[in-house]
Amino acid sequence: MNMLQSPICELLEIRYPVLQGGMAWIADGKLAAAVSEGGGLGIISAMNANASWLREQIREAKSRTSKPFGVNIMLMSPFADDVAQVVVEEQVPVVTTGAGNPSKYMSMWKSAGIRVIPVVASVALARMMEKHGADAVIAEGGESGGHIGEAATMPLVPQVADAVHIPVIAAGGIGDGRGLAAALMLGACGVQMGTRFLVAKECGVHPVYKEKVLKAKDIDTIVTGRRLGHACRGLKNAFSREYAKKEWLPETSMEELEAFGVGSLRKAAVEGNEKEGSFLCGQIAGLVTREQPAAEILQQVCEEAEALLKGASQWVNG
Amino acid sequence: MTDLERLEKIICEYKELEPGTLTPETTFQELELDSLDLVDMTMACEDEFGVSIELDDNLKTIADLLDLIRKD
Repeated sequence: MNMLQSPICELLEIRYPVLQGGMAWIADGKLAAAVSEGGGLGIISAMNANASWLREQIREAKSRTSKPFGVNIMLMSPFADDVAQVVVEEQVPVVTTGAGNPSKYMSMWKSAGIRVIPVVASVALARMMEKHGADAVIAEGGESGGHIGEAATMPLVPQVADAVHIPVIAAGGIGDGRGLAAALMLGACGVQMGTRFLVAKECGVHPVYKEKVLKAKDIDTIVTGRRLGHACRGLKNAFSREYAKKEWLPETSMEELEAFGVGSLRKAAVEGNEKEGSFLCGQIAGLVTREQPAAEILQQVCEEAEALLKGASQWVNG
Repeated sequence: MTDLERLEKIICEYKELEPGTLTPETTFQELELDSLDLVDMTMACEDEFGVSIELDDNLKTIADLLDLIRKD
């Protein structure tokens, strides 16, 4: 019997206060279902895909689990309006959002009974999302993989927790029970993990991608894309090193830089292209060394956190 | 203080600029304010003016922000 209790478990009707990150080209219906079956909240990444792809993934997830799962909507997607409608039609219980302000969809989603949890990288954005009716926020620090803000998780989470009254979920740099326990101490009531679930057995990402993450050390990631205003963290490889070199050369135009990155994530996640692929993952990759079933990951992380929290009194006299 | 002066004070403090250097036509691009900066500024304006501001994609200049503030 798990001992962790959190308002996010009640809000989302999940056993463990752990969400799985909506990773583009990685988080599909199968992975989301496995995480949800395991007691967390699995999330399908709608990325830049169209409505019919998303609908297919949602139905895939529903065929594998009757537990709640979510969809992450990337608000800069050209199909954002369409997928925002799909989650209502398919009665998806939870939506997380990134890359923008979901206000324009909020009343439609809330009327449909959807729990809306925007990912935020700043206190001001968290406050704005609370104002617009968000049920919770995911405060994601720059340690995470993929698109990131400037603040790290350690300073961001307590400041967001102080600024809003809705539940805060911590993300970025969390990969085991220590991270979960720490997040709870920082004022969060749950966590979102991406990199740790990327190596779940049920994750269909290319085996080369998984292998690279499993072998990665603490300092093996690099941030690129700041010049475009889209800072992004991934593993160091030929592609990211080349990108980093080009990025700040005066002769490289913004358009050239943009074009250089197109399709690179797909090349990594689907094709396993080691030279041209962009292998996005977080700094916690060095701690992620084993492929495991999603249910085992959830149980392990939560049992570790429980043991740490119960033993925390060792740090206090009397 | 006029609304424009109050708004200018918020922006100048945020960007460490001398007061009197901005005009209603000054753009957020000229000020190098990215989307997170704009959210920050908007929340600061909400606190200062006691209004609710709905950000939209047409927000380009200080005059645009002032219009939004006055709309509420």
